[in-house]
Amino acid sequence: MSFLVLDPTPGTTAAIGRPAPRLDTLKGKTVGFVSNGKEGTKGFFGHLEGMLRAECGVADVVYRTKSNYSAPADAWIADEIKSWHAVFSGLGD
Amino acid sequence: MQLASRIYEAADISAVQELYHANGWTDGLPIVPPTREAVEACLDWVGMPPAQLIGIEPVRELSVTAEKLAINAVMAGCLPMHFPVVVTAWTAMMQSDFLLHGATASTGGCAVLVILNGPIRREIGASGTFNALGSSDRATSTIGRAIRLCLINLMDVRPGSIDRSTLGHPGKISYCVAEDEEDSSWASLSQQRGLEKEASAVTVMAAGAPRQIMNEWTTKPEEILETFAAEMRANLRHYSIYPGNYAIIVPKQLREHLQAAGWSKTDVAAFVHERARIKRSEWADVGKGAVVRDRGDTVHPAMESPDQLLVVAAGGPAGGFGAIIPPWLGHKSRAVTMAIGACVDCEPPKA
Repeated sequence: MSFLVLDPTPGTTAAIGRPAPRLDTLKGKTVGFVSNGKEGTKGFFGHLEGMLRAECGVADVVYRTKSNYSAPADAWIADEIKSWHAVFSGLGD
Repeated sequence: MQLASRIYEAADISAVQELYHANGWTDGLPIVPPTREAVEACLDWVGMPPAQLIGIEPVRELSVTAEKLAINAVMAGCLPMHFPVVVTAWTAMMQSDFLLHGATASTGGCAVLVILNGPIRREIGASGTFNALGSSDRATSTIGRAIRLCLINLMDVRPGSIDRSTLGHPGKISYCVAEDEEDSSWASLSQQRGLEKEASAVTVMAAGAPRQIMNEWTTKPEEILETFAAEMRANLRHYSIYPGNYAIIVPKQLREHLQAAGWSKTDVAAFVHERARIKRSEWADVGKGAVVRDRGDTVHPAMESPDQLLVVAAGGPAGGFGAIIPPWLGHKSRAVTMAIGACVDCEPPKA
C-alpha cells in the first residue's frame, strides 16, 4: 500500500537581509564589538582589538554587551551600531 | 480543505520511515505517516484552517501555522483530541517571555516541559499518577513528542544545527505531565497561576532534567520540604545560581502529609523559597571558586519570589519520591500558562 504524506517543514527559507556594503579599509574607522556577555568573548575580543589596531589601523573600538545572551541585541545597542563603520558580533561560548 | 504542504509518495510504510529519517525530519524513532486525512482530522478538531497563524517565534521571526503543527503532531502519534494541547503549548512557547530560541539553542540543553491542567486531562486520558514523569500514558507521551518534532522541523532545532546542547536530557524526546487534580485538595497549577479551575490549560517551562528526591521518614511538612529545598540548593551549587521558575513534583504520599497539616501550595512555595538559597562562597566548595571573587557573601535564592515555584501534584499513590525540575537559565526564560482556546491577539469585546 502506498502512502501520500506531507512535508513537515516550512518548505521555504525565509528571506534574510542583504549584507551591508563592504569597507575598502578599516584604517581610521570605528569598530564595534557586541558581546553576548559570555566569559569567552572577553579574551577573544581583546585579542581581536589588538590585531585590528596594529594590523588594520582601526582608530576606535567600542565594546557593548547584550543584556540577554540568548536574545537579539537591545534596541539601544542596535541604534548605536548605525554610528559605527563595522561591527563584530560574538556568538556562542 | 486546501493544504499547502508538499506531498510525497512512498511505496509502503517502510519507505515512509526512510523518507522522513533520510530528510532529518524525525527524532530517530518511527513516525506515523502524516497523510492528508490524518492532518485534516486534527485541524477539524480545533476548527482551524490550515493557514491559521499560531504565532511567530520572536527572535528568528519564524511563523508557525496550524497545518505544520498538525503534520508534526500526527507524526508524533497524536490523535486529533490531543491537538488542542499542542496548539496551546506552541502558542505559549512563542510568547516573548518564554524566549524559545534561547531555550532551544543553548548549550545548556533544556527541554520544554508541558504541564496539563483542567478537564482536558481526563478527556484525553492524560494520567498524573503512576510513572508521571515517564511514559505514563499515550496522551502525554505523544504530546511531548509533538513539541519536539515541531521544534526539529519548524525551527531547525536539530542537534548541531540550532540545537547546540552539550548533553541535552531524555525529556527532549517527550516531556509532558498531567497534574493529579482528582487526588489532591490543592488548587491546580493553572489556578495558582490565575486561571479558572474549570479551564483546561497548558503551562510550558524551559526545564532541565528532573532531579529525584526521597523522604519517607517523616510526616512533618518542614522536613519533607527541606529535602526538596536541599536538592534545589544542590542544583544552585552544581549547575546554575540564576533564579527563576523551578517546578517541584509532589507525590500523593508526601502531599497527604502536607495537606493534613493544612499546608497549601502557597505555604509550600513560601517555605521552599526561604530555604532554597545558597551563598556564592559555596561555589568554592564545588570547584567553582574562580567565579566567587569578592562576592562570597552574596545570597542567591533559587526563585526571585515564591510564585516562581511551580508546585505540581503528580505521581503514583505509594512512595515518598518527589522531584525538583530546575530551570534552563533562571529568569532568562519564564514559564507561561495559557488556557486552551484562549486567543492571545484578540481585542477585548467592545462595551
